[in-house]
Amino acid sequence: MSKQKTEVPYGTLDLLILKTLEAMGTMHGYAIARRIEQVSGDVLQLSQGSVHPSLIRLEQEGWIRRDWGISETNRKVKFYSLTRAGRRQLRVAVDSWEKATGMVARFLKASI
Amino acid sequence: MNIRRAIERLLALLRKRELDCELENEIASHLELAERDAIARGLSPEAARRLARLSLGGIEQVKEEHRAQRSTQLIGTLLRDARYGMASLLRASGFTAAVVSVLALGIGANVAMFSVVDAVLLKPLPFPEPDRIVRIWDAPKPGVVNATSAPDFLDWKRLATGFEAMSAEQPISGTLDGNGEPIRLSGKAVTAEYFQVFATNAQLGRTFTAEDDQPGAASVIVLSHAAWQNYFGGDPKILNRRVILDGESHQIIGVLLPGAFDRDQTKFWKPLIFTSDQKLRAIHWLTVYGRLRSGVSLAQASDRMQVIHAALLELEPINFREGSIVVWPLARLLVGDDLRRSISVALGAVVLVLLIACANVANLLLAKGATRKKELAVRAALGASRGRLVRQLLTESFVLGLLGGAAGIAVAYVLIRVATPMLSKSLPFTAEVSLNLRVLSFAGAIALGASLLAGALPALRTSFVNLAASSNLSDRGSSKALAGVRQLIVIGEVAVSLVLVCGALLLLESLLKLQSLDTGVHIENVITMSTDLPVGAYPTPEKAALFYQAVAQRLKAAPGVVQVGISTQLPMQWIVNGEGIEIAGLGKTVWVRFKRVDPGYFDTLGIPVVAGRGITSQDRDGVQRVMVINQALAARLADVAGMKDPVGKTVRVSYPGYVEKIDFLPEVQIVGIIRSERVASPGDADPAVVYVPFAQAPDPHLRFVIRSSFEAAAVMPGVREALREVDPNLSPGDVATLEQVRTRTFSRASQPVWLIGAFASVAVLLTAIGLFGVLSQAVTQQRREIGIRIALGARQFDVLSRILRNALSMILIGLVLGMLGVFALTRVVKSLLFEVSPLDPRALTVACVATTLIGLLAGFLPAVHAARVDPVATLRDEG
Repeated sequence: MSKQKTEVPYGTLDLLILKTLEAMGTMHGYAIARRIEQVSGDVLQLSQGSVHPSLIRLEQEGWIRRDWGISETNRKVKFYSLTRAGRRQLRVAVDSWEKATGMVARFLKASI
Repeated sequence: MNIRRAIERLLALLRKRELDCELENEIASHLELAERDAIARGLSPEAARRLARLSLGGIEQVKEEHRAQRSTQLIGTLLRDARYGMASLLRASGFTAAVVSVLALGIGANVAMFSVVDAVLLKPLPFPEPDRIVRIWDAPKPGVVNATSAPDFLDWKRLATGFEAMSAEQPISGTLDGNGEPIRLSGKAVTAEYFQVFATNAQLGRTFTAEDDQPGAASVIVLSHAAWQNYFGGDPKILNRRVILDGESHQIIGVLLPGAFDRDQTKFWKPLIFTSDQKLRAIHWLTVYGRLRSGVSLAQASDRMQVIHAALLELEPINFREGSIVVWPLARLLVGDDLRRSISVALGAVVLVLLIACANVANLLLAKGATRKKELAVRAALGASRGRLVRQLLTESFVLGLLGGAAGIAVAYVLIRVATPMLSKSLPFTAEVSLNLRVLSFAGAIALGASLLAGALPALRTSFVNLAASSNLSDRGSSKALAGVRQLIVIGEVAVSLVLVCGALLLLESLLKLQSLDTGVHIENVITMSTDLPVGAYPTPEKAALFYQAVAQRLKAAPGVVQVGISTQLPMQWIVNGEGIEIAGLGKTVWVRFKRVDPGYFDTLGIPVVAGRGITSQDRDGVQRVMVINQALAARLADVAGMKDPVGKTVRVSYPGYVEKIDFLPEVQIVGIIRSERVASPGDADPAVVYVPFAQAPDPHLRFVIRSSFEAAAVMPGVREALREVDPNLSPGDVATLEQVRTRTFSRASQPVWLIGAFASVAVLLTAIGLFGVLSQAVTQQRREIGIRIALGARQFDVLSRILRNALSMILIGLVLGMLGVFALTRVVKSLLFEVSPLDPRALTVACVATTLIGLLAGFLPAVHAARVDPVATLRDEG
């Protein structure tokens, strides 16, 4: 089983999804993928498909909730929204992300 | 991964189909939406579809990734591997059968042995709150324990506060007559709280109450459930029936619930009512059990008993000053050190058997792995990682292990069914050997352990071989390293089996030593039995004496009977009664064993009188009391009292009473000295023994020794008839030849010998199979080489001897390693041996020779096979 390579920095896709759901409320998988692409402009090369596995994991963690709804093409699809635990997790993740990037930034500056 | 996710994942595994369907939908709608957006941006439908797929990424990859996130991929692979393994095992059915049967043998023996360990050492005793049941002993000296006297027991019971219930028991036996044929059964006389101590209730009627053991109480008995079923056909109206016990009518007041007591020898219980002569503080004869109050620890109870002991010492200075009262848990009483040691050694041996079985399976798997190299090479070429291949191979060996485990449980079931009747005599009655949940979990664990043990090395080896080279068709499939590993395994097997064979031979030698022990008595054609004198019908010593004479005479007249003797103890058995001799002028008491015999006893057993005379029929009640002493006592008298020629001397001996008479200290004349018969257990010196005539010291418990002119057992019908003629209530119990008595008495320490012998045989057999396998494989692989040798002029004999030399070298290295093992285990084995050194050269030599011969035998077939290689055919095959 070969590893699916994602151009999104490892582990940050979850963060992006959570943040998207916080900003936009309830959305389905395709909309989330599109939204992430749009917001990031051309910087992120996202394989849209990789959103689905992440969604499953986040749901199993209890951070997002899934409801059934009807898509724009009249199909039954899953709509996701953030749970309270998800909000908490998002704060934790944002916090640690900022710490990590801050640290790396300081490190890069200091090393020059 | 947190627990919640783990559970979700496992659940997902169960809903696989449904979730896969959802996934299809999800991806389909994703594509639709992406397509719609692309079209909206002005692309053609085809371009839109392409773009949608492109930006989604590889659809199958997404699905796979998705599945991996959803559920435990590992388990999915595992199941697939298991299915695949199953299929490939089914294809190689011969191989599978071989592996499964080897594993089944090893696992089955282990599971059966573990069920014994479980029953004896692990399971709680089969009584409610068994930890609270204790045995209470008198300890006259530190390290010595003794039975309890009736007044002591009554005082303990009155004063002890740490106990919920306390009871005393005395083993009895009696002829029970309620259902036509009288049967002699073992029973117990117990005080009222006995069943409270063991927390056992009645299924019918009641158990004893406080009134039942008071003087003047009605004669009642309680039956065990088994006795009710076996002797009274489970009669539901049993409580209305009376039975005759030793000539006295008893009311059956209760039948116990089925349970532990059904495996005990004890079939009935009657209240123990102390008579006045039993109430002497000097006679120690009771077994005392207690049930601790809840919350009272063993140590607390023991401390409180010491206080009572001190108080009683003030009251009755007859108690030993330096003595104490000790409290033991029941479990300690039931499982002695001997049994614990035997069981551990047997368990150790059976684990070795399992090791050999695993080695054999590993060997088979290695051989199979060699033939599968191409398959694995193909799989590796198609992208399977090394870890993936190892996992696949391990899963296959797990499948084998599980099959072997299942078959092993069946083997264990059969073994337990066959062996339990033989073992039950050596195990405490509380032990119920069965396949319970714990034993089954153990079976599962060793099945997994065995497959890991057997599978790990072959899996690693097989997957590490140079796969690229394997796909090369001209490869011979013979890897030097692989053959080396397989040889090492066989060498290990030889070593382990040598250890087992040595152990079995040493134990056997020890058993033979025990059996050839000088017993001091004539063993051949002697049958023994026991019966009880119905005291009610013979209430005085005179009447009892007449009874002994009548029985002996009548028995002697039975067809085939040559000589009859009566005693209170069979030869070779320890004499429980101890009394003291007081010699005028000597300040101290000489302690002796006290045995009652009739005039025929010494004659029947061929015990020679070395000085003076034996017991005669003239030694009746009312004339001068006489006794015969053994050589050990004669030596002791000479030593202590300077009595060089004791025959004719008179001493005072304490005598126990009969029925109501209390014991006393009459003058007794020593009339003879006999050669000591064996009384002590093997390895101990003969104790000092006095033999007094039955007629002068009657006792209701009788043991008969009957010598016949032909096969001992054949006289039994006549003996039975003779007993009945004397008294219709009499029937013989404990019928056994003296030979059997000897075997039973002296074989205890060597008991595991047959078990270990069986294990050793299995081990040798498995090793031979392993050796055979390795050599056969070698011959097959070297066919070409052998063919060339023969073509170049090698004789059949050369080929034969080459293979056998190969076998011999493996065996010899194994033997050397095995000897190291034997040396290492000296201490363990020593405790089980009687007068045999754990490094006994004869046993070790025989073990080495036997192992070598069997090994060569196993090598012979492949060697012959090799010698018959047809060079032309072999070389042509290679074209």
